[in-house]
Amino acid sequence: MKRRDFVKASISATVVSVLTGGSFGARALAAGPVKVGVLIPLSGPAGLFGPSSRNCTQLAVDEINAAGGILGRQIEPIFADVGGPPADATQAALQLWKGDGAEAFIGMHDSAVRGALTNLFKGQVPYIYTPVYEGGECSAGTFVLGETPSQQLEPAIPWMASNKGASKWYLIGNDYNWPRDTNAAAKGYIAGTGGEVVGEEYLPFTVDNFDSNLAKIKDTGADAVLITLVGGASVGFNRAFASFGLADDVARLGTLIEENTLAGIGAENSVNLFSSAGYFASIDTPSARSFAEKYVAKFGADAAALNALGQSCYDGMLLLAVLAAKAGSLSAADMDAAADGTSYEGPRGGATMSDRHVSKDIYLAEADGAAFKVIATFADVGAGDNCA
Amino acid sequence: MELIATHGLNFLYAFATLALVVLGLAVVFGLLGVMNMAHGEFVMIGAYSALAVQQAGLPFLFAIPAAIAVCVVIGWLVEWGLVRHLYKRPFDTLLATWGLAILMREVVEAIFGREYQSVDQVLPGTFSLAGVEYPAYRVVLMGIIAVLFGALFAWYQRSNAGARVKAMVQNPALAAAMGIDTERLARWTFVFGVTTAGLAGVLLSPLVRVEPFMGLDYLLSSFFILVVGGLGSLEGLIVGSGVIGGTDIFLSALFDKTSGYLGVLTISIVFLWLRPNGIVSRL
Repeated sequence: MKRRDFVKASISATVVSVLTGGSFGARALAAGPVKVGVLIPLSGPAGLFGPSSRNCTQLAVDEINAAGGILGRQIEPIFADVGGPPADATQAALQLWKGDGAEAFIGMHDSAVRGALTNLFKGQVPYIYTPVYEGGECSAGTFVLGETPSQQLEPAIPWMASNKGASKWYLIGNDYNWPRDTNAAAKGYIAGTGGEVVGEEYLPFTVDNFDSNLAKIKDTGADAVLITLVGGASVGFNRAFASFGLADDVARLGTLIEENTLAGIGAENSVNLFSSAGYFASIDTPSARSFAEKYVAKFGADAAALNALGQSCYDGMLLLAVLAAKAGSLSAADMDAAADGTSYEGPRGGATMSDRHVSKDIYLAEADGAAFKVIATFADVGAGDNCA
Repeated sequence: MELIATHGLNFLYAFATLALVVLGLAVVFGLLGVMNMAHGEFVMIGAYSALAVQQAGLPFLFAIPAAIAVCVVIGWLVEWGLVRHLYKRPFDTLLATWGLAILMREVVEAIFGREYQSVDQVLPGTFSLAGVEYPAYRVVLMGIIAVLFGALFAWYQRSNAGARVKAMVQNPALAAAMGIDTERLARWTFVFGVTTAGLAGVLLSPLVRVEPFMGLDYLLSSFFILVVGGLGSLEGLIVGSGVIGGTDIFLSALFDKTSGYLGVLTISIVFLWLRPNGIVSRL
């Protein structure tokens, strides 16, 4: 470029940026809304969580937009269904990214889909993964909000041992990496309390007959069951569990039993059922109460029940806003550099990022009919080693 | 001892529900020679009838007439519009009813969505049976199925309608010549078959997951039962349900669920290979 052209270009660019009120460069060119791809399950076993995920995302978008948006730009969420196999989810994400021009992604889906997406994005676009998961994600440009097994179980298993006398554990989950990794972690904590594992079984998502498992739970004399079944499978198992008369004698602890699953299980089947998570609709703190009130005000009392998975999408959007603000850009590389130490306050309480994960408060709740009652709060629990 | 009783009751339950699910397929195949690949979808429609009744705020029992009405209408239309043109063309029926199955899944998905749903429990609580606390609804369900099969067997053996069906199956031309309206009889046989599937869907709905693809599982297990038991007789159906249910329960109890399923597959393959007419063969 000749010197004169450079001067001309600089002057016109400055004029443009002054006129549009923006700053220099790409931001002035891309001054439209920030399109954020929101990948949530609307079908399949996790489809149960779709409506609340969508509502919570919308709530966060409205609030952030009212406060000025991300880097001065309004957020425009684009939703896609990722309840199917990873290949379909990849297609949907690619369409949002290259077709619709999404500049960041928020994902609330299973780990198989996450693996496919980190492989697709390759750190070129910021991607916030929000749900409970097995730990260990460390890809560039990927930020993880969800509870890891060590966060959920490190405090909860000793609590169950000392308060509910849980010593003989039966582990049951769906057959994929999250339940298997969760149980691998659980075995360490169970051994730490002097307890033992008396059975371990993994079932396909479509199973709805648990007869042989329930007979084994009875037979082994287990006094606690750790449940890592998902959605419909968890509903079926817990109903059958209680209808076989096991509920009074055997405590159940789930790491993915939230309000929707509990509603499906039903009040008559929820005796002696515990859940460990970073969020419950009934957390009694000012920020959680005000969040729940805003949710009801916007979507009505009949809207999909608030729960840890749906709510995680709200936190995902918050995290995207604070990361972008701290990095001063929406580039994944800038966010990577700025991420450690980023903190924010949400309905769950405070959260601080390190190693792409957040340390945060963990709640243990006991089912009380068809609602959860928080019975113990474990403050600022770290996510464990994930980027080893 | 209690454990054996539990496994025994689980076996009876599996046996009864399998027999109920396979009944419609066995009737339609045994009497009309039609392999109805949309059989599982009629089970699904029954389950969604229960879900729709629940969403409308009505008691569970309303689901039974609702499912019967829906299945009769759809079954009648399907026989009239599709199946009757394809009698004696088994491969074409297979394809046509498979297409129908896809259509039914898509329609249900469009109305109710694709997510897994659950129907509220009926009769929660347990019932003491053989020294075991067993889910009350299951006990009632087994009773209903036993009565249903008893009534059906008696009706088929003794009634005029049963005699006409037998005549139609053995020699359709002669039956027609004797003044039996075989077309009408065939249509109602088909409708009866799919309606029992719908009824099975209603009765099972509080115990299983409800989603548009649930029918595939029922079609598969029905198919295994017919392969093992033998096509086209009530005895075959009973024997097949017993063998398939028993294998699954026994291996699942001894090892794990996967072994149970593997055992069912293995037995089905062995039968297809060495004894394609099943244990109780009419042919």
